[in-house]
Amino acid sequence: MIEDRIDEAVWGKRAEGVAALELELARMRRSVNAHAREQGVAVARASVLNLVVFATRDVHARRAAATIDDLAMRHPSRAIVVLADRRREGIAPGLQMHCRQSQPGGREQVSCEHILIRARGDVDDRIASAVIPLLLPDLPVFLWWTGTPPLDAPHFEELVGLADRLIVDSGDFARPAGTLPRLHAVARAGHGRHGLTDFNWTRITAWRELVSQFFDVPAWRPFLDGVTGLRIGFSVDADGREIHPSQALLLLGWFASRLGWRAVESLAPSEAGGLLFAMQRADGQEIQTRVRPRFMRGIDEGNLSGLRIQATDGSRHAEFVVKRVEDSPHATTTVIIDGRVIAERLVPLGRPGVSELLGEELTIARSDAIYEDALAALVALA
Amino acid sequence: MTVAPPLANPLRAGPRLGRTPQPCALVIFGGTGDLTSRKIVPALYNLALQRLLPAAFAVVAAARHSISPERYRETLHADLLEFSRTKPINEDVWRSFAENVHYVTTKDESGYDVLRERLADLDVRAGTNGNRLFYLATPPSAYEPIIDMLKAHRLTENVNARVVIEKPFGQDLASASALSKKLQGVFTEDEIFRIDHYLGKETVQNILVLRFANGIFEPVWNRQYVDHVQITVAESLGIEERAAYYEQAGTLRDIVQNHLLQLVALVGMEPPVSFDANAVRDEKLKVLRAIRPIAPADTAQHVVRGQYGRGFVEGMPAAAYREEQGISPTSTTDTFVAIRAFIDNWRWEGTPFYLRTGKRLPKRSTEIAIQFRAAPHAVFSREAAEDMEPNALVLRIQPDEGISLKFGAKVPVQGIRIRSVNMDFVYGASFMVDAPDAYETLILDALRGDATLFTRQDEVEQQWRFVDLIARAWSEGHGDLPLYPAGTWGPAEADLLIARDGRAWRNA
Repeated sequence: MIEDRIDEAVWGKRAEGVAALELELARMRRSVNAHAREQGVAVARASVLNLVVFATRDVHARRAAATIDDLAMRHPSRAIVVLADRRREGIAPGLQMHCRQSQPGGREQVSCEHILIRARGDVDDRIASAVIPLLLPDLPVFLWWTGTPPLDAPHFEELVGLADRLIVDSGDFARPAGTLPRLHAVARAGHGRHGLTDFNWTRITAWRELVSQFFDVPAWRPFLDGVTGLRIGFSVDADGREIHPSQALLLLGWFASRLGWRAVESLAPSEAGGLLFAMQRADGQEIQTRVRPRFMRGIDEGNLSGLRIQATDGSRHAEFVVKRVEDSPHATTTVIIDGRVIAERLVPLGRPGVSELLGEELTIARSDAIYEDALAALVALA
Repeated sequence: MTVAPPLANPLRAGPRLGRTPQPCALVIFGGTGDLTSRKIVPALYNLALQRLLPAAFAVVAAARHSISPERYRETLHADLLEFSRTKPINEDVWRSFAENVHYVTTKDESGYDVLRERLADLDVRAGTNGNRLFYLATPPSAYEPIIDMLKAHRLTENVNARVVIEKPFGQDLASASALSKKLQGVFTEDEIFRIDHYLGKETVQNILVLRFANGIFEPVWNRQYVDHVQITVAESLGIEERAAYYEQAGTLRDIVQNHLLQLVALVGMEPPVSFDANAVRDEKLKVLRAIRPIAPADTAQHVVRGQYGRGFVEGMPAAAYREEQGISPTSTTDTFVAIRAFIDNWRWEGTPFYLRTGKRLPKRSTEIAIQFRAAPHAVFSREAAEDMEPNALVLRIQPDEGISLKFGAKVPVQGIRIRSVNMDFVYGASFMVDAPDAYETLILDALRGDATLFTRQDEVEQQWRFVDLIARAWSEGHGDLPLYPAGTWGPAEADLLIARDGRAWRNA
C-alpha cells in the first residue's frame, strides 16, 4: 500500500518538475556548505555513481532510502527512487518529485542527494524521461529493481537501457523457479551493455567460499571429481508456507556449471517444497541432488541452512558438510573421510543486511560471468 | 625441494571468491613476544573472521618458555581482547581458531626436532601438505641462530618453506648483507618476505593505483611540472618502551632507511610493466639507485638532524629524550631527520625531494605532497592572485587517508579575485568496518606467496648505502645535533634547509 501523502521527513520538499528540483538541490548544497563553513569543515559533493531504485511498495522504497543513507560514505551517490503507484481511481495521473540531502553518519564532509519520483496512475511510459535528466553525467548508473522485475514491460526495458548494472533480489521473486531461468535471458541480452546481479547470489558468496576452501586442500581435491550426492537445505518458516528456494537453486546451478554436471531429468517435487534432480557428472556417473526446505530458528526464510557433498576418490568415501548453527551467525564446516571426522571448524557467516549486500554489489562494477553460468545451468534444469 | 603443484580448483573462480591462501602451517618464532600478541595473532583472528584462512591451517608457536599449550592459548586470548582491531571478540570463532594453535618449546636444540615432527604430523593430520611459513617475530639478534637451527634440524627440506622477517634488516649495509647471505643459505630470495608494514597500508598501495591506473597524473609527474616533492612522516609519540633499540638506531635507521625511502621509491619510480612482484621491485630499485648519495662534506647542507627536548604534545607535558627511561643523559641519538634529496634521472633531474620525519612532533601525520610549478605567465594582476598558492596534489597516508588537489578558483564577487581551494577525495577506507590492518594484508600475501608488498634484498641494500653515508658523516662530526621542543616541527635548521631554496614546509 502506498499512502496518499508523501512523508516529507523522509523524502524532502516537493519540487514542481525537473528544473525546480535542480534549483532546490543547488539551494540545499549552498546551505549545507554555509553551515559546514561555520563548523570549519568543507563539504565534498562527491559522487561516484547514480543509483536508481524502482519500487512499487512503500516499504521497499523506504528500505532503499535507509540503505542509501547507510552507504553514502562509501558510495556517495545521486539516488533516485521511483515509487510507482498503480492505483488508477480517484487520482490525477502524473509524476511528483521530492528531494533532500543527507549527511551520512552525522559527518558533514560528504553530502548525498536523494530524489523521489512518485509515479501515480498509468504513467509508466513517462518514468524514464523524468529519470534521464536527473542522472549525473559520466557516472555509472545502477538500477536496483525491488520485487519481481516485469521482464517484458516496456518501462522495465527503458530503465534497464539506462543502466550499467541491474540489481535484483531473487529473494523477493514471487516464483523464483520460473523467474530465475528467465533472468538468464536478461543477462544474455545485456551483454556488453549492462551487468546483472542478484542479492541472493551475494548472500551465498560465503557458502561458495567455504565450499571452495575444502577443495583448495590438495589431499581433498580429488574428491571433487567424484561427487556422488549433493544435498542443499534452505530455511522455511515453522508452517512451511514461505518457500523461497532461490539461494539453494543458485548454489546448485553454481555446482553444476563449475563442475560440468548435466541434468538428466528433473524429478517431481519430493517432500513438502523439496526438489529432487537427477544429474550426471562429466564422466557420466549419476549424482543425486536434492534441495529441501528446513525449519531452523534464527534464519530468514530462503537462506541456506546447510549443505552436504558426498564423494569418493575411488577407494575412500568422503563427506564435506557446511551447516549453519541454529540461532547463531556461524556455520560449522566438517570433513568426514571413511566415517571419521578429519577436520572441523567454526566460521562466521554473518547476517549481511541489505546495506552490506548493496555495498558489495557496488564495489563490483562489472558483470559476474560465474553467476550467469549458474543461471544457465538452471535453465537446463527448469 | 618443491612439492608437486596442486590440481586446480574449478570452484575457485569469479570476482567474488578469491584471496584465500593454500593450506599452510604458520610457524611463529618469538611466539611469546610482543609482535605475536599485538599484531600477528590479532591479524590471524581477523582473517579467520573474514573467512580468509584456508580450511587446512595450523599455527605452531615456538619460544623458549616452557608453558603448556592451554596456558599459551589463554595468554593469546587475553592479548587479543586488548589488541584486536574488531571488538567484541567472537569467542566461538576464536575457540575454533585456537584449536589449531600449537606450542613448542625451543629452549634447547631438541625443540627443533619436536617442531619438525609436529609439522610433519600436521601435514598429514591437518592437511597442511608441506607448506610452511616461518615467521621470525623475535628480536633481530635471534634471527641468525634460528636460521642455523632450521638448517641443522632439516626443517626446510622437502617442503615448500618461506620465511618472513621484520625490520630492522641489519644496522648497516654490511650487517644487512650478512643477514641476507645467512637467509639465502636456507631460502631462495623468492622465499624471503621482508616486512615493511608501511607497504601493507591501503593508502600506500593506492599510490601505485593513483599513478599507474590513471592517465591524467602521469604526464605531469616529472621535473617539467613538479616544483618539488615533500614527504612527511610525523609521529607525536616518543620512543615508548623501545629505549635500548632506539639509542642504537635513531630515526635515520628506524624510519628513513625503510619507510621514508620506500615512499620516495613509490612516488619516484617509473611505471612497472605489470603489477607483479619483481616488476614492481625492479622499478623501485632503479629509482633508489638514482637517489644522489650525500657526501660527508655536504651532509650539513643536505641533512638536518635533531633531538627532542622538553615540551608539550597534544596538551600534555612531554619529557626530553635524554630524560626518557633507559636513555643516556648525554645521548646524541637523532629523533628527527630532514633531508634535501635529489633523484638523478631523466624524470626528476633538479627536482628536490624534501623528506622529514621525527618523534614528538605536533601530530601523527604521514603525507606526500607534490607541489607543482606556478603557471608560466601571470595573466591576472598581482592583487587578484595574492591569495593564490601553487597547485599541490597531496596524498595523505594517515590519518584521514585521502587525496586532495589544491587549485585556484575565482571568488564569486565582481571583478577577479583568486583563492586556493581544495578538491578532496576521502578514501571510504577509514569509515569502512572492513578496512584491513597492514598486518592482515601482509600475512595473507605471505601465506599466498605474493611478494609485491615486501622489500627485496637489493632494495634493502641500496637503502642502506644511502643511509650509511649520512650515519658515517655524523659519526665523523659533520652536522650539529640541535634540540627542538617536543610538540614542534623539529629544529629551526630544518626550516632553513628548505627556506634556502625559497620554499617552505607545508603544514602537514
